[in-house]
Amino acid sequence: MIGASILKEIWLLLRDRGRLISLFALPVVFMVVFGSMFKFGPDKGEPRPIGIWYADGDARGKTIEAALNASPGFVAKPFPSADALRHAVAHDNLAAGLIVPADFDPLHGKLIELSIDEGAPIQVRGPIEGATIGTVMRALSPVPVSAMPQLVEPKTPPGIANPLAGVTAFQVTVPGNAVLFGFFISMAVAITFAHERHTGVWKRLLAAPVPRWQALVGKLVPYVLIALVQSAFLFGLGTGVFGMQIAGSIAALVLLSIGLALCAVSFGLLVSSFGGTERQIGSTVPVAILVMGLLGGCMFPRLFMPAFMKTIGNAVPQSWALEGFYTVLIRQGSTIADVAPQLAALLAFAAGFTLLGLWRFKFE
Amino acid sequence: MTAMLELTGLGKDYGERAAVKALDLTVVKGEILGLLGPNGAGKTTTISMASGVVTPSRGRVVIGGVELAKQPRVAKAKLGLVPQELALYEELSAIQNLTYFAALYGIHGKLAAERVQWALGVVGLADRAKDVVKTYSGGMQRRLNIAAGLVHKPELLILDEPTVGVDPQSRNHIFETVRTLRTSGITVIYTSHYMEEVEALCDRVAIMDAGAIVALGTIGELVAQYAGKGLELEVTGDLDAAAAAAGSHGTVTREGNVLRIEPTAGLAPLLAAIEATGVTIARIESREASLETAFLALTGRALRDVA
Repeated sequence: MIGASILKEIWLLLRDRGRLISLFALPVVFMVVFGSMFKFGPDKGEPRPIGIWYADGDARGKTIEAALNASPGFVAKPFPSADALRHAVAHDNLAAGLIVPADFDPLHGKLIELSIDEGAPIQVRGPIEGATIGTVMRALSPVPVSAMPQLVEPKTPPGIANPLAGVTAFQVTVPGNAVLFGFFISMAVAITFAHERHTGVWKRLLAAPVPRWQALVGKLVPYVLIALVQSAFLFGLGTGVFGMQIAGSIAALVLLSIGLALCAVSFGLLVSSFGGTERQIGSTVPVAILVMGLLGGCMFPRLFMPAFMKTIGNAVPQSWALEGFYTVLIRQGSTIADVAPQLAALLAFAAGFTLLGLWRFKFE
Repeated sequence: MTAMLELTGLGKDYGERAAVKALDLTVVKGEILGLLGPNGAGKTTTISMASGVVTPSRGRVVIGGVELAKQPRVAKAKLGLVPQELALYEELSAIQNLTYFAALYGIHGKLAAERVQWALGVVGLADRAKDVVKTYSGGMQRRLNIAAGLVHKPELLILDEPTVGVDPQSRNHIFETVRTLRTSGITVIYTSHYMEEVEALCDRVAIMDAGAIVALGTIGELVAQYAGKGLELEVTGDLDAAAAAAGSHGTVTREGNVLRIEPTAGLAPLLAAIEATGVTIARIESREASLETAFLALTGRALRDVA
């Protein structure tokens, strides 16, 4: 019976272009758009301009300007006045600028001004601020940098594997969209239940010599398989075409994909237990999925979110799935044990959705 | 005579309301039983309980000697259900639909292919077997709906309003299909809103009203017992007074501004009594004894008026 259900659902899927597009083509479009946005955004992979102003003939200002130009991440952009620089930071697309006063004297409180929007998220502001200050300090050091003893050593704390170097934006957009669109299978599940109730096929199923649990499993299993095929397709496309790398265990990636599929399909069961029409499901569930995806960080990295949004994000399975996928894709040598909390969370969500869905589900 | 379906004390409650009270019905093997009743009479609930779609609140269902509650898989295998809705996958072909429905009964592979061809042949759709269902006419979809209930060769077939919305040609084809099935020994329960269909097809008729069977028998028996000749009067004015006046001259049922009267005395004093109330008689019609008048006498409602 389950075999026949799988075959029938595949037939239906192949006939439904809209569903095929939403499952396979739409995520690719999103990947390309978001990936391109990062790749071809304002920086375009070039050094970031940092504004600079200093009084004519100020040797220290010249030194800082030269140091900025010599750094790999920045390029100095001179301004005719301090106010012009401040204006550019406030109103133009300039991230930061350095104003070197003529009476610069750190021992007497006369400091260089780093003009930067202090209201910007620390994740965005911090790296620019830190790197700029570092460049200034090295430029003005009385001792040549090469002669200085090493003061800081970057070191990753135990428990976190080293990130991959030189990753592309697709390393982020592929899992993000795989999770976001993976949940769209829940809409297909809910719609198929609504459709079968509406057409009377569900009656036929209940009148057949098939136990009710088997009728339910026969409806859900094909969608779990379709969701797994979708994940395989998207991650395969990511690695094969978009240059995405898998830094950790493939087995962990597969288990996370299974967890995601179970979660999404059980969410569909829960949605169907509310008994809406196909039209109601089609108009409400995508919105719910997009909001959950947004909170879960599928469209915008949770790293840049305010603390309260991150907390809310923990209540949606997408955030756990995405965290697991990031770990496997970015952290070198990550194993199943490294994503065990995320896997456990996904299975717990799936169990919760299933139990709630079964409790509410009306066979008759 | 062997019983194909036995319903004993069967009932279903939805909250405080009893959709079906405590129904007893035996359907004999090889017969076509018509099930008539106005909307809300409990026909669909009864059919749903008999086919295992709805769990009864009380009573028992026995299909071909097997109790449904105790051996559901064995009992259900004997039964085919053709729901009132077009219970098909429109995006799939007839073969794909029937192959899936056959699989629900454990029929696979070569046997399934044979059964599919047989069922399509019975309903006259063999030449459209590979076409997608949504390209079918309404009548063809109705016939395929029947084939889907037949594909596992059930001993008992329940047809719930199988001719709704079909053209006369398809309706005749469905009639012929039902007759052919009876000839091949399949027992049929047939519900319809069309009185003439039941009269043309059914060996016996059960009339349901308010969750109970109010009459059961052959059409001849029902007509003889319940379908007295009478008058139908369309009246404007004080209907309560007119009904009360008519009541002293015969049995009166009322629907809207129509009074149906079986006079116990002559026509002249009846009409005089009604007119004396000040009402205007817009139409007078004489009714012959038929299944329809029997139905009206039993339920007080015209079948299609409440459909």
